[in-house]
Amino acid sequence: MGQQIESALRESLDRVVTMLVSFLPGLLAFLLAVIILTVIGLVLAFLIRKILTAMRFDERLSSRQSPGALGNVSEWSPANSPTLLLSRAVFWICVLAGIAIGLSAFNASFSTTGTVSLFFLPYVTHIVGATLLVIAGSLLARFLARSVLIGAVNAQLQYARFLSMGIKWLVLVLTGAMALEHLGIGGSVVELAFGILFGGIVLTLALAIGLGSRDLVSRSIEKTIEKPTPFSPDLAATPRPDIPQPSPLRHF
Amino acid sequence: MSTTTPTLQPDTIAAPNFVPASGPPLTVVCLPSLSHEAFATVQANLHQVFPHLPVIIATPDAVPETDGPSNFKVATYTPLAQPRGAWVPTAADYLNAWTVAREHKPTAILLLGNESASVSVETLRLLATGVLDHHDLVLPRYPVGPHDALFNSAILYPLTRSLFSHHVRFPLPIDAALSSRMAERLAAAAQRLTANNQGEALVWPVAEASVAGYSVRDIPGEHRILPTPTTDDFSTLLATIAGSLFTDVESKAAFWQRARLNNPSPRTTPYVTQATPQDANPLDLAPMIESFRNAYTNLRELWSLVLPPNSLLALKKLSVTPAENFRMPDSLWARTIYDFLLAYRLRTINRGHLLGALTPLYLAWVASHLHLIDGDPGAAEQHIEATAAAFEADKPYIVARWRWPDRFNP
Repeated sequence: MGQQIESALRESLDRVVTMLVSFLPGLLAFLLAVIILTVIGLVLAFLIRKILTAMRFDERLSSRQSPGALGNVSEWSPANSPTLLLSRAVFWICVLAGIAIGLSAFNASFSTTGTVSLFFLPYVTHIVGATLLVIAGSLLARFLARSVLIGAVNAQLQYARFLSMGIKWLVLVLTGAMALEHLGIGGSVVELAFGILFGGIVLTLALAIGLGSRDLVSRSIEKTIEKPTPFSPDLAATPRPDIPQPSPLRHF
Repeated sequence: MSTTTPTLQPDTIAAPNFVPASGPPLTVVCLPSLSHEAFATVQANLHQVFPHLPVIIATPDAVPETDGPSNFKVATYTPLAQPRGAWVPTAADYLNAWTVAREHKPTAILLLGNESASVSVETLRLLATGVLDHHDLVLPRYPVGPHDALFNSAILYPLTRSLFSHHVRFPLPIDAALSSRMAERLAAAAQRLTANNQGEALVWPVAEASVAGYSVRDIPGEHRILPTPTTDDFSTLLATIAGSLFTDVESKAAFWQRARLNNPSPRTTPYVTQATPQDANPLDLAPMIESFRNAYTNLRELWSLVLPPNSLLALKKLSVTPAENFRMPDSLWARTIYDFLLAYRLRTINRGHLLGALTPLYLAWVASHLHLIDGDPGAAEQHIEATAAAFEADKPYIVARWRWPDRFNP
């Protein structure tokens, strides 16, 4: 009995040691690939930054794009520098390439449990994709929330902040649902929850706008009615001297 | 930050040569698209100013053959860049004017904006005389009421005066008289914009003249019909004009930071705001004040990215001030504009958002200004000058923060 237990333990230990021995080279290859590509990425990013700075790339690009435009690269760049954006993009492409090469080497050297990396590689890709989705969604949510907030304030809407928050969470919920679906987590539960949340937010916003913007709509209609057309007979009418005419403001 | 003298690139359109290069001083008058009646009026007015001197009238319209004065020639030109109906001359207009004028080496170029048939003979005479007297840029000060040209009074005039040291009351002109070299310089600036398909962008002649060291003069203009912007969207218009000015200021930072510009020469003749019968009527300032209060509630976080704590505190006090005492200090307004200018340069937030967030603050200034002047033209002029003086007094602040934006600022 004791011998059998000892034998079972020894065989188990042998298997684990064998697995570790076959696992370590793959792990080292993975780390080596990531480190080398990261160093290459750093060097390339440094060179690109130097070259573009020497070419005054940011200033040239800025002078060719109108400020505030959505297509203006500077508005979307870290520290508003397209040079920094490009150099960081190159760096992270190299790092991702290093991870991909490392996983491939890992898979080749660790053939006994190839299914691990076969499962792991696409999942890492999905994680990267989901992370990018979340980052892009967050940026878009913040941009749209601010745009709506400023637009609503300038339109003199009292519930501007509420509207802005609604838009922000609408985009964030959409982004979260897309990221979870991309990762394959939750399945139909996520879809259902997303549908309920999204529909709820839209309904809330619709009700808020419908109930809250009566003043705005009435002002708009009044403005349209009062606006004289070029051939309006009102233009020919003489203003009554006993009624004080409102003094118009001319901003520009 | 380039302040070097630009050169105009050659292009394809060449205007026909009507007048020999030598002889009496030649004036080229560039007009926008006008009706036949309006064109005839402008031509008649110009003939009173130039009864004998040669004049070329450049127009984009096909003008029928009429018996005009013998010293006048009409040239129809094909615009290099299409202006898009702005109410003031844009980059495309300046470029078109120089393209027509340069073939003739004129002494003076008159660039007249929309509704130019209403420009009086005396104004035309003063404009032309200014350039013939060897000034490079002559701009008219048209009479406006205390409730008019508020954006100019709040931002354009004070900022231009403090940074470029010129007491030109309307730095975004409707009409202008230019010397040949001034027209070339403006065309070079305009060409950079039109090359990027921004023909409708604004050009700032006073800043260009200041950087080039050219002489600038503003003359008293008589009443004319002032064109109105084509768009009704107030916020967009404000963002467009303020954004254009801020961009221009940013590109000329190396120039306006010079210490020698800190003391602008005083204006020779005072400007008088004109009163109209309607100005005496009471104004409803409540919507503007309410708009500011609403903005303070909602945009406070956004403003806190741009404005220092002192300014935010002052705005907070202003937001709870009763309407009858609503008064924005001139120093606060000047500091606010400088901080927005700095944030525009540093891209602290998206530039479109930044300029959008400026609108309620501007309305607060307008409410404060109108409340203070109470329809009195004299008080209006006094306050506008005080505002400009506050901008000048605070110029060291913008110069310092432009150079060291990260320095602690309470």
